[in-house]
Amino acid sequence: MTAAGAQPTPPGPPGGMSALAGWLGASSVVGLLTLATISVRMWVSSATDRLEHPGDKPKVAIADQAEVAYCTPRFKEVLERVLHSCGLAQDETRRGCKPADVKTFASISDSDFNELFTPLKDRGAVILFDEGMQDLDDGAKKLLEDKWFERKGARYFFVVARASKSGNQAKNNALSHRRANSVMYHLTSIANDPEIDKKVGLLWLGNEFAQLSKDYCSWPTSRPNEKCDEEAINRSAFVSWVDCRL
Amino acid sequence: MLGPSSRFHATLALVGSLLGLLFASYSTMDYAEHLDRGLHDVHCSFIPGAPPTSEAEACRAAMYSPYSAFFRESMWGGVPISLFALGAFAFFGGFALYLWLSRERAPKLALGFFAGVGITPLLVSLVMLTISITKLGHLCKTCVGIYISSLLLAAGAVAGLFTLKGEARPRLAFFFPLGWLAVLGVTTLVPAVVYASSVPDERPYLGKCGALKQPKMSVGSPLKIHGSRAIQPVMLFEDPLCPTCRAFHERLLDEGVFERLDVDLVMFPLDSECNWMLDSALHPGACIVSKAVLCGADRTRQVLEWAYDEQVYLTRAGKAGKDVLRAAIKQRWGDDLLKCVDDRKTDVLLNQHLHFASDNGIPVSTPQMYLGSKRVCDEDTDMGLRFMLANLAPEVLK
Repeated sequence: MTAAGAQPTPPGPPGGMSALAGWLGASSVVGLLTLATISVRMWVSSATDRLEHPGDKPKVAIADQAEVAYCTPRFKEVLERVLHSCGLAQDETRRGCKPADVKTFASISDSDFNELFTPLKDRGAVILFDEGMQDLDDGAKKLLEDKWFERKGARYFFVVARASKSGNQAKNNALSHRRANSVMYHLTSIANDPEIDKKVGLLWLGNEFAQLSKDYCSWPTSRPNEKCDEEAINRSAFVSWVDCRL
Repeated sequence: MLGPSSRFHATLALVGSLLGLLFASYSTMDYAEHLDRGLHDVHCSFIPGAPPTSEAEACRAAMYSPYSAFFRESMWGGVPISLFALGAFAFFGGFALYLWLSRERAPKLALGFFAGVGITPLLVSLVMLTISITKLGHLCKTCVGIYISSLLLAAGAVAGLFTLKGEARPRLAFFFPLGWLAVLGVTTLVPAVVYASSVPDERPYLGKCGALKQPKMSVGSPLKIHGSRAIQPVMLFEDPLCPTCRAFHERLLDEGVFERLDVDLVMFPLDSECNWMLDSALHPGACIVSKAVLCGADRTRQVLEWAYDEQVYLTRAGKAGKDVLRAAIKQRWGDDLLKCVDDRKTDVLLNQHLHFASDNGIPVSTPQMYLGSKRVCDEDTDMGLRFMLANLAPEVLK
């Protein structure tokens, strides 16, 4: 007799798990784990091999000063001579180049010298002065500031001061020197740059080298509304950043 | 209803386990591949068998995140958690096969054990899913593949309980589940142990990526951001519209590292409008946004983080034109900051930052991190970040 409502416990199927299913299950665990582990080992080994024996790495662009199309070998050659000869490239005390220096180191004709600067027409500007004077007027200061602060990627700023043909050569040399200095003085006052001496190259040509033709009146000048002729355009300082690497 | 001899639950669990194994393999393979310190495409698809791709920002972000691996300070990149998934899914796959073969002869204890442990990958997946949504802000497709696999496995494991009605099943001794649990533990650990014992020593490669030639700016100055517990001076070159910079910044925050840094920030926008080192703009509008950061004054960090938070919108605005971008800056930061952005002095300052980069001949890429004058390699700012800091600036992690 059993208690009322109670049922006898039915016998279970043959005890234990199916041996075959168990073995297959266990084997597949081992198989999958082995496969995964070997794969991990291979991936790490492969990476280690690449780490220890790196192939050619892709080239990465390096930050540098600007270099634009007008930086021809000839242009850079002259530029480099200017930098070295006028005390700009290193910590030399000499500042600037007078006409005789330019003639010597540039080894270039007047017209070729001017031709080199032609691509800088839009990058630079011509600061105009009164006859026999070196003072910058308001227009000159503004244009100079505009050009100075449009530096972009350039490393060097050039000032090429001139004097017109009127007057004697010595006086014109001195006058163009004062004009270059006048530009430099104003740049120093606005730039707040302790390394400005390493950036600005000064050349003064007086009236004896590389005079500008009237054609240069079409370049941006500090007096766009005034009459411009060959005399006026040479009472000037051409200023420009130069986007070349040296 | 599932009958005692149904194979549906075991099939579901088996499919889930094998898929989980596959996705975990992809994830581990991607991780291991980066041990060579190179940048590689990564798997980032729901579709098993899909090839690696370079368009995998979410998967890459997950891979670089602090939640992707353990022991990241003692081992370069750490031990990826996908390795544990690899071992666990191997076990579950084998066990599911056993249940599939056993059908109604599978012991009740085996089905109960499988239901109990079969939901653990799903629980872990839910934790990782929550982290992905709340901390990373996006879902990695390979990770989602593992989440779905875990769901299938859990569903199959639990469904097995519904086959228990009816016929009596073989009985097993109580120690069987303990044995299985031990095997599960071992299989879960084996791939990770093998990985950890075979990873290369990356210490000789740290700090071998160059240095600044002139660590101080001669003209102008970098922006300063002092972390709240700053202890380590660093210099960062960043572009506010660069997604990698944003991800890097987020990593520094997530790792709790940023507050320990005394940052000299140099703006290096990859936008040809102001950066002459590029032929075309990689991130249009980055020059203007960089100027906004430069104008931030005592809010530099806020402006930078705003730019990162709103990067998608600002990038769209940058492509739409300057005025759209300027309007966005004005709307958030007011007229004064916009006036500063338009000021020539700000152009000059940004130009000085760019010249500082060119004077130092740094790579044209962002972000870049310098400890002192020493450049931190790119790979040590992502996967190897914690390891690099533990070796080169351990005080940051204290």
